[in-house]
Amino acid sequence: MTDIAPVLPHLTPEFLTWLWYATERDMGSFALPEGGRFDAWVDDRLSFRTADDDRPRAVLTGENPSGSLEARAALAGGKLVRDLRLGLRREEREYSLVLRGGTLDLQGAKLPGMFKGHEEEALFDRMFLLEELRWLVRTLFQHFAAERTGAAWETDVLPRMQRWVAGEDG
Amino acid sequence: MGFLQGPLTARCYRVEADPPEGFRAVFPEALNAHAFHEPMSKAWREEVVGWVVTQNLLDTHFERVETWLFNQYAFFSLRVDKKALPAKYLKALLDKRIEAWCQETQAKACPRDVRADLKDALEIELLAKTLPRVQVTECVWNLAERTVWFHSTSEKANERFRRIFHQTFGLVLLPDNPLEWVDETQAEALAGGGAPDLAVEVLP
Repeated sequence: MTDIAPVLPHLTPEFLTWLWYATERDMGSFALPEGGRFDAWVDDRLSFRTADDDRPRAVLTGENPSGSLEARAALAGGKLVRDLRLGLRREEREYSLVLRGGTLDLQGAKLPGMFKGHEEEALFDRMFLLEELRWLVRTLFQHFAAERTGAAWETDVLPRMQRWVAGEDG
Repeated sequence: MGFLQGPLTARCYRVEADPPEGFRAVFPEALNAHAFHEPMSKAWREEVVGWVVTQNLLDTHFERVETWLFNQYAFFSLRVDKKALPAKYLKALLDKRIEAWCQETQAKACPRDVRADLKDALEIELLAKTLPRVQVTECVWNLAERTVWFHSTSEKANERFRRIFHQTFGLVLLPDNPLEWVDETQAEALAGGGAPDLAVEVLP
């Protein structure tokens, strides 16, 4: 049996921190690869960990935890984003999910709609939504990868993020 | 809660290859061969693992394709049963049995081998009366897209799932690694050079 390819542990906290920053910087609007846009926002949960321990050391919940001083202070203190509850909206479809771990597993993902029809129809509908949700997460990661590996990362993005963490972003 | 309703907690995999030609005939046999079966003895305690039809965990026959294959989606569940005896209750009962044996044989102490035999007999007696803890975890395989969702993020459960999936279908499940969502140059840049944790880097 083939061994699992290693999943790089540093990427998830980097991605989630960038995502938090980018949702505020870009007013939560992201481009789709084939045109059109979708919305993303940090919802009602943020948790932080230390670099050498995967257990959550600080968990912020409630309304707008990402806008709180505690959240920025956790970042400034060197804590890493362990997980966050993300809201996503494409057209009229709204999703909510926690992303966690090196393979960005879904935790408590809520899909739009109430399905009261036949089980087979429910499966088709829910799988369509689940696959769209994964595709939106993938798109966000692709935006992150493009910025993280782009020429402007060191000269522009990172300094702006530093100012954002320090609360100097206006 | 699962793929049909409620919140989802799941891990996504890619399947290493397409399903074989004639999979509609091959897969029922494969699933039946690795379906869940109750052990013959009622006094078992090892983990028992196998596939069940999602609609009813007692249904372990996959000949009727329409019960688990819906267009491009194969939808079935992994059942894991395990029996466990309450340790304190077991010890208390064993002490009583030892006491009774000592009285019956007028011995002052119970030899080690007799104690072991009494314990074995007691465990078999209790296991036969104990219902197992039953776990059922759904999976959905999109045969057209070569993706599989497993409704658990537990490492142990996922390891077990990958193993039995491979034993059943002869196909390896690969984690849906975010590095494979980006082009090769970006993936190498993200992976290479031990990129520093962002949160440390942005410290003022």
